[in-house]
Amino acid sequence: MNNKTKWMKRKLHTGWTLVIAGILTGIVGIIVELQNTDQPYNYRIIIGLGVLLAGYGIGNLVLHRAALKNDQITGRMTVEDRDERTLLIRARAGNKAYWVSGVLIYIGLMWASFAANGSLPDLSGDVLWFFLTACTLVPFGIYIISIVIDERNL
Amino acid sequence: MKNRLEELRAEQHWTQQELADRVEVSRQTINSLEGGRYNPSILLAFRLARLFKMQVEDIFIYSEEEEKYE
Repeated sequence: MNNKTKWMKRKLHTGWTLVIAGILTGIVGIIVELQNTDQPYNYRIIIGLGVLLAGYGIGNLVLHRAALKNDQITGRMTVEDRDERTLLIRARAGNKAYWVSGVLIYIGLMWASFAANGSLPDLSGDVLWFFLTACTLVPFGIYIISIVIDERNL
Repeated sequence: MKNRLEELRAEQHWTQQELADRVEVSRQTINSLEGGRYNPSILLAFRLARLFKMQVEDIFIYSEEEEKYE
């Protein structure tokens, strides 16, 4: 087994791990939802995470199983994964996303501090939900946008 | 940084993908290098130099003036 096939097998293992983790998370989500029908929380967020993980895992499996049949494609995928320009672009995107994430969390922290002494309204209910969603999605969006821009300019 | 990659690749009648396969990078990296948008790591520069049987400085042309404005 050469290095490229070994790398591909590792990717397949990751795919299976994600699928299993996704299924387990989904099952836990369903059980928790069924057992806590009297609670006002939305447990579908756990099931959603399970679907996301399993979907990502299935995508990985389909992609890498197809590539495993063709030596040339296996080679190119290995190279793409370790390509220095690709790594640089991802690192730059990760760095920007990290700072944006840090700034968002700092704003949340400041807001909570000012809210505690009555200078600002409380971060609760829908506002808190939207703020936490923004903390999750905005850095991810910045990461993707940065990759798209750098792929074009670099 | 300016370089002679495109010229050297053309002399060998290689496509960007063929050159990329030989030095184990993506085709996009070769495209960026040829367009002068990306400077290679020292390892890639040596791999390219070895492939073309040349010195690194014969392929990549360093200019102090250019570096000031990069």
